[in-house]
Amino acid sequence: MAFKAMTIAAGLLAAPFLVPAARAQSAPPNTLVMLRAYDADNYDPAKSTARSAGEVAYMLADTLTSIDWDMKTVKPGLATKWTVSEDGKTYTFTLRDDVTFCDGRRMTADDVVYSLKRFIDPATRSPVRWRAGQVKEIRATSPTTVEYELSQPYSELPFQLALFFMSIVDKNSVETLGANFGVQGFNGTGPFCWVSWTPRGDFVMKKHEGYNWGPPIFNNPAPQVDRVIWRVIPDDNTRLAALQSGQGDATQYIPYVMLDSLKKTPGLRLVNQPNYFWDYFLGFKVDKPAVNDAAMRRAIVMAVNRPAIAKAVFFGAGDPADSYLNPQVLDFDPESKAKLPGFDPVAARKVLDEAGWVPGSDGIRVKDGVRASFNLYGISDMQWSRMSEAIQADLRRVGVELKVQLWDATVAWGKLATQEFGAFVMSYPYVSAGDALSLYFASANTPTPNRMNWKDADTDKWLLEARTSIDPEARRVALANVQRQVTEANVWIPLVREQLWVASARRVQGVRAHGIYGVGVYKGLDITVGK
Amino acid sequence: MRRLLMAVPVLLGVLLVGFLLMQVVPTDPATVRAGPMATADVVAAIRSDLGLDRPLAVQFALYLGRLLQGDLGVSIINNIPVAQELGNTVGPTLELMLASLVWSVPLGIAAGTVAAYRRGRWLDRLVMAASVGAVSVPVFFLGLVLIWFVGFRWQLLPFTGRGGPLWTRDGLLAIILPAVTLGGVFVGPVARMTRTAVLDVLGAEHVRTARAKGLPERTVVVRHALRNAMIPVVTLIGLQIGFLLGGAVVTETIFSWPGVGRLAVGAILSSDFPMAQGTILVLAGGFIAVNLAVDLIYSWLDPRVRA
Amino acid sequence: MRLLRRLLRDPVTGVALVLAAAIILAALLAPWIAPGDPAENDLSLAMQPPGEGLLLGADDQGRDMVTRLLYGTRLTLVIGAVSVGLGGGIGAALGLLAGFYRRLDGVIMRCMDVLLSFPAILFGLAIAAIFGPGVLAVVLALSVATVPLTARIVRASASVEMGRDYIEAARAVGMGDRRLIWRHLAPNCMSALVVFATLRFGQVILLGAALSFLGLGAQAPTAELGSMASQGRTFLFFAPHIAVVPCAAIFIVVLVFNVLGDALRDALDPRLGF
Repeated sequence: MAFKAMTIAAGLLAAPFLVPAARAQSAPPNTLVMLRAYDADNYDPAKSTARSAGEVAYMLADTLTSIDWDMKTVKPGLATKWTVSEDGKTYTFTLRDDVTFCDGRRMTADDVVYSLKRFIDPATRSPVRWRAGQVKEIRATSPTTVEYELSQPYSELPFQLALFFMSIVDKNSVETLGANFGVQGFNGTGPFCWVSWTPRGDFVMKKHEGYNWGPPIFNNPAPQVDRVIWRVIPDDNTRLAALQSGQGDATQYIPYVMLDSLKKTPGLRLVNQPNYFWDYFLGFKVDKPAVNDAAMRRAIVMAVNRPAIAKAVFFGAGDPADSYLNPQVLDFDPESKAKLPGFDPVAARKVLDEAGWVPGSDGIRVKDGVRASFNLYGISDMQWSRMSEAIQADLRRVGVELKVQLWDATVAWGKLATQEFGAFVMSYPYVSAGDALSLYFASANTPTPNRMNWKDADTDKWLLEARTSIDPEARRVALANVQRQVTEANVWIPLVREQLWVASARRVQGVRAHGIYGVGVYKGLDITVGK
Repeated sequence: MRRLLMAVPVLLGVLLVGFLLMQVVPTDPATVRAGPMATADVVAAIRSDLGLDRPLAVQFALYLGRLLQGDLGVSIINNIPVAQELGNTVGPTLELMLASLVWSVPLGIAAGTVAAYRRGRWLDRLVMAASVGAVSVPVFFLGLVLIWFVGFRWQLLPFTGRGGPLWTRDGLLAIILPAVTLGGVFVGPVARMTRTAVLDVLGAEHVRTARAKGLPERTVVVRHALRNAMIPVVTLIGLQIGFLLGGAVVTETIFSWPGVGRLAVGAILSSDFPMAQGTILVLAGGFIAVNLAVDLIYSWLDPRVRA
Repeated sequence: MRLLRRLLRDPVTGVALVLAAAIILAALLAPWIAPGDPAENDLSLAMQPPGEGLLLGADDQGRDMVTRLLYGTRLTLVIGAVSVGLGGGIGAALGLLAGFYRRLDGVIMRCMDVLLSFPAILFGLAIAAIFGPGVLAVVLALSVATVPLTARIVRASASVEMGRDYIEAARAVGMGDRRLIWRHLAPNCMSALVVFATLRFGQVILLGAALSFLGLGAQAPTAELGSMASQGRTFLFFAPHIAVVPCAAIFIVVLVFNVLGDALRDALDPRLGF
């Protein structure tokens, strides 16, 4: 009797299986479903620095300038052209006159002034307001002209203005929503408009009717899809399975191990951005025991097998770094590359021997009572877990002990702001040599982001020179000096340069990998969704 | 009624434990909110904005006070009201747990009963082995295997989150895989407990009497044996709900299910005190409520026990 | 003993017993019987499937899976044993006190209710955030999660025993409380405790695996079955052996202890309520 009940139950349970239904949740008409791994806390462009905020912000809002696919050339955005004064301190931007916000209101120079001033206002608490330069005054001199006055020249300004932090937003919307701007609603001039946001779930946007002022780097300045949904799928396997089974259209969040097989999957298209600047490095706290010894740092750089690590951890989606910065980046100094020692564990041991680091009974070297041992802090994710394990093993082979302590992303930032560690690992995006170097090597930026506690007067002098010079050559020379200096001092171990790959499903056309600030799909223009 | 009153200090205790625990967690929400590129002065400014410097006792008292007025506070990371987030996530988690129980409990009871009736024979062995086996696999493994084969290889079911309310086709289909993954943990213990309990009861006085009276086997089973056998099973379910929550966090992550589990994890790790407290309140409250219900069902099943 | 003979009567239990002994022995002897070093990596061998040379293949860092399996089982068993031992010990003590002293019963059990209602996995997260992820955090979290359950079981058993004649008799003779609890009450609650501990062992291992899934388990390069399984899941569809081997090991260990627990319960007292 129980048997009968069980059979009936089994039959009922099996019924839904008889109907192939995976596609019910997929492929909504003319909607682009972007898949990603994380959500952002907040979509107010002035308050967040997360890539997951940026990829959305670029679709909801526009910036004054844009960056071309070569990642070096600045192109028009909301500003059609700009001029610089002789002393390099005043920029005059001419704006388009046909731009509207999502609510229909026409955008004017007042909105630009408001948005930029809001960004640099300390009360807004933007973590990166320094990107705006030393601003003296920003004013609207006509409905389509903005004067941006600095107290010191800042040649990187047009570049920095392309970053999503300086998106132009609607003053009324900000004032109405207050702290909920970017959380409950948003009003920008972007190709898509805010519809809804379910935290940790879907972010839905719809086409901004009438939008046709996309950056000239695109073939078609108007959006071609009706809706965009950014969907969070935290688990790597699930995300890829979703892409491959048609439950998602495109993603840049691909576990590297799957890259090769994805390239071979029929029906999936993979695009790459060769000029992508997102680097992985290990930084030493130069004032901590053991690693305060320059010889120790040099030996460690030589002990780490960067090519093998890149291959094993990134499966071809990353190139071993042989310089502090990517050679394609603006103001890269080729000579500094020569100063970075290559992989040579035998030489590493020699350096340590000569510097007086004697191997102890447990194999770990000691000098003047100090053990060659320090701890490493970092974010706990698949790449760092595996890379730090490999580095740990490499260091053990030359008699140095590395204690690895990786933290979950949300706890990690707090931990990385302390002085509890001797070394840390980090990855970051940058747009130019000046961007990267001033972020990490300026003494004013200790304890974070300059977690190495690198305080050098010469470095600061050169960084200031670079930031304020009007002559691009002078800037290049100053930055070259910094690169050579820090490379010689082995403040970092540059590890891997990540590649940017964006995978898209068969029904999607026009996906191209951009890469600004790590964002793969920029603005969602030129993309069409078939049937 | 007395049970209900006793639940209150327990809930308070849970809140206190949660509060103290969060205090000891060294995450600084200001740093989380500021992000990786922030300089120290911005972080300090945000920290003072959030007012994280008042004495503990005061903070807890304020929190309780607001709680009694129905105000759960807002997230200190993104300003969204805790009540709103909870409201959006409690439903999906409840759905998931319900869907898991709906298939695993009857199946477990049926399997256990069958095993009891065929005690010692191969069917008994098979059922017991299967139920023990089902509880011996890590939840995430089961979930991933299901996604790979059922979701991706055979393209039978969706697996990227909630498809809609349970009464819609999309919603129903989307909940199947997560419910199977989560419920799998349940079937085993329920089957084993049912088998033991039924065996126990089948030998008991009143069942033998019923049989002697010549009542049909079916009545014997349902009316007499099962009813008493359900007592320990129901107790077990109440206790296991706690384990279900642990598995729910993992299941929600794998299937991108928008539930309280994921919310709680994120809140605790970023030291989002109000949100973390809110989720703890909901989860603990749910657990206590379930156990209260268990007690009530217990007294209904066995009139000899006072409620 | 008689118990052992009773257990061995059933072939399934016999097999389980032998397996359990084998597993524990292998784990204890790991440093001597393992072919290599669990932390020694060789990136050129990364992800090699099982075959000649590497019986169970290599993981994503090129480490030998057999070695990792042995050391991993060892650590997992230790974590399980310590958690159940610590949590069980404290819980049993509390349960005995609650069962013996009526006055303490209410307070103790309410506290246990609080602990029980607090979701174990969230507790684990908080602990890991405080102490940093790793074995210590996992053991602490699992121990704390075990205390209230044990207390409940022991208290229920103790309550029943308290109503028995021999307790009355011992009291009449003037026996002191401590002696009464230790010499008479405790031993009679043992059977429930032992069965629970055996079953709990398996549950604790699985809970540990769940914590590892959230990244809180043993950190690199420590070999532990739960963290190995969790870290291997990214490669599940490419080099399945990396996750399947530890998962299978977890499965066998948990299965064996579940079967043993059931058999023990059947042998000692089939009427036990779990």
